[in-house]
Amino acid sequence: MSHIKIAVVLSVAIVLQLLLREVWRPLAYIDFPLVVVVYIALQRDAWKALVVGTLAGLIIDAGSGGLVGAGGFSKTLTAYVIYFAATRVNLENPLLRIPVLAAASLLDSAIYVFWHRVLGYPPAVPFVQTMSYKLIATTVVGTLALYLLDAIVAERSAQRRQFANRRRVARRATGPLRRR
Amino acid sequence: MAFVRTQKEIRQRAPIWLVTLLVANLIIMAVDARDADGRQKILRVWTQTFASPIQNASSKATGATSGFFQQIWNFRSTARENEQLRERLTQVETELHTAQQAAAENERLKSLLSLNEQSDIKKVPARVIARDPSVWFNTITINRGSSSGIAVNMPVVTASGIVGRIITVSPWASQVMLITDEKAGAGAVVGQLGQSGALGSIRGRADLGAALIEMRYVSGLEKVENGDYVMTTGQDGIYPPGLNIGRVVDVKSGTATSAHQILIQPGAQLDHLEEVAVLLYRPPPKAVPEQSPQSAERTRR
Repeated sequence: MSHIKIAVVLSVAIVLQLLLREVWRPLAYIDFPLVVVVYIALQRDAWKALVVGTLAGLIIDAGSGGLVGAGGFSKTLTAYVIYFAATRVNLENPLLRIPVLAAASLLDSAIYVFWHRVLGYPPAVPFVQTMSYKLIATTVVGTLALYLLDAIVAERSAQRRQFANRRRVARRATGPLRRR
Repeated sequence: MAFVRTQKEIRQRAPIWLVTLLVANLIIMAVDARDADGRQKILRVWTQTFASPIQNASSKATGATSGFFQQIWNFRSTARENEQLRERLTQVETELHTAQQAAAENERLKSLLSLNEQSDIKKVPARVIARDPSVWFNTITINRGSSSGIAVNMPVVTASGIVGRIITVSPWASQVMLITDEKAGAGAVVGQLGQSGALGSIRGRADLGAALIEMRYVSGLEKVENGDYVMTTGQDGIYPPGLNIGRVVDVKSGTATSAHQILIQPGAQLDHLEEVAVLLYRPPPKAVPEQSPQSAERTRR
């Protein structure tokens, strides 16, 4: 995945995160930047995953009432844990991504709230309830978003499309030869 | 020739990158946490300065889009509403006449008592341009900052009640902590200040969410009922006295030795804020108690 593609996808995720809460409050439970972080970590590119995790977290922290750096910390660590798992276990299967997203959401929330509690900034909402809503929303929407990202931006799917085109062209070209 | 790292190299270096980035985040977090309440948070001011033009533009775009759909939706019920409004207009005209008489009487009484009106405090109208993107906090960002005379800890209000206080100010935007936040608080009184002895303080509570706030330390001997209005006392050094906070929705009566447990519904609709006003209010300096001869002697030594 090229740097430009990552930048575009991350920007879209952050804009969605900033805007959707204005439209309908429960939509804020979907953590779009986290979905992007998980997607890049699943590509097994550690550097990109870590940097995207830090950037996504810091940008969201900047507009939030929480501590700047807490989101960066939680998303970076989450990105590494998923990268680590993806390099040891095959997580290519779309069904396996569901528990991965759920675990990522859980880990991200737990670390984020942990640092706020340690530094004396307790969140303004109940922890278990908010974490549960976030987990459900991010897992459901994130699974669809990962599928969409796979279909649109993944290099492997682009290659697959390219090969399909080549095969079609090759078949057309060799058709009259076979008849002869 | 482009430098390409092998998978093995990436795997070896990943823990180093991880630790570096985590430490960087930790330092940023510590710096942000160190800036105590009431002081400008430098990191946040910088980020807000850059983010506010984007938030402003996105807020306008969202407002326009949702406004368009709202108009389509509203069109369906316009005819029915029109009929209802005509009936209501007749009723309101009668009420207005009575209200005008009451207002005139109120003015006369005020001048008699030489009370200072709250309108003496300058107000800066502002628009909400963003809400907290994380689900864990309930702050809002408004489109006015230090260039409009806003400073940290100034109160933010609507016509129906207090909203919160300014926690960060950048030149063109400010961040507001809502009164439902656990770290927010205000001196409050149930009923009218000067008439009621039910004094206490309000505070947000995480388990109550953004809908309710708790009032503490109200003596169990004071009479408090559901539906009573709660006002600010001005003793907190942030909000001027006499501003509406909300109404009592639940009271667990206390005793002579324990305080009432009171829940308040904020008067301002905190979930649907669009326009607010910042009061350019500076609390009067606290009077320094005169030193007794003995303590003055000690200070001199």
